[in-house]
Amino acid sequence: MKKMAFFFFVPLLLTGCSGNEKTIEVYDVLDDAQKRVEVREVLDSNEDVYSGTAIFVDQQLLVAVQAKPWLDYKKEKIEKELTKQFEERFTEFDVLVSADYKLFWEANKLMEEKDQQKVNDKVKKLKELEKEET
Amino acid sequence: MEQEQYKNLEQQITPPTPYMKNALIAFFVGGIICTIGHAITYFYIIFFDFTEKTVGNPTVSTMIFLSMLLTGFGLYKKLGQFAGAGSAVPVTGFGNAVISAAIEHRTEGVVLGIGGNIFKLAGSVILFGVASAFFVALIKLILVTIGVVQW
Repeated sequence: MKKMAFFFFVPLLLTGCSGNEKTIEVYDVLDDAQKRVEVREVLDSNEDVYSGTAIFVDQQLLVAVQAKPWLDYKKEKIEKELTKQFEERFTEFDVLVSADYKLFWEANKLMEEKDQQKVNDKVKKLKELEKEET
Repeated sequence: MEQEQYKNLEQQITPPTPYMKNALIAFFVGGIICTIGHAITYFYIIFFDFTEKTVGNPTVSTMIFLSMLLTGFGLYKKLGQFAGAGSAVPVTGFGNAVISAAIEHRTEGVVLGIGGNIFKLAGSVILFGVASAFFVALIKLILVTIGVVQW
């Protein structure tokens, strides 16, 4: 019985990380289709990212991404690469790319928010949070 | 009986240590403790203003606090007997080491008993942690000053 359970769980553990569908969401008050396409292009071209959320608000761009499992050690490199790419494409925006789960979680919560001022405040708060070291 | 004979006899009678089983139990119990730690990490990230960078401190203190409570209630001892290194290696083992020393010496008084012995086991961990952190920071400072790496 114990052996049976073992053989049953090992494939479950091994297949837990599969599933290749990238979920990319963009929040934009002006609803500019071009921006959506560009964000999608950048995130789709990056192999190490499996999910991303971008928020355009008041000349600020917050991109929260999630690195694939086992690639946590590459997070800073991924952030740097993506920041460079986004800054090239959106020169008029103040860009922040983060692979932190907190920012990803909060950014996804903001997707439902209608009040632009609230989104703006929240993005500012998240940017400050991201800078904290201890 | 010759020494050699005694040795042989002793080896025949002593039951073999189940290394593989012990390692497996330690692996799984240690893994479960770390999973609980991860759940606490996500709890702090989702419900409080902690990022992945800053969430380590509250998570570690919560885990240590929980293991201290369990030690006080006598439950961590049972877990330790069952899981061995699986319960000692994670940071919860640290809380256990602090509180079990305090419990052991409480009859000797608050200052000389508890105060003097509370860090008997865990003190070396703190000392090694602080000292090695100091030296690592020193090496990094030198490397940054030379210009090899950045902060």
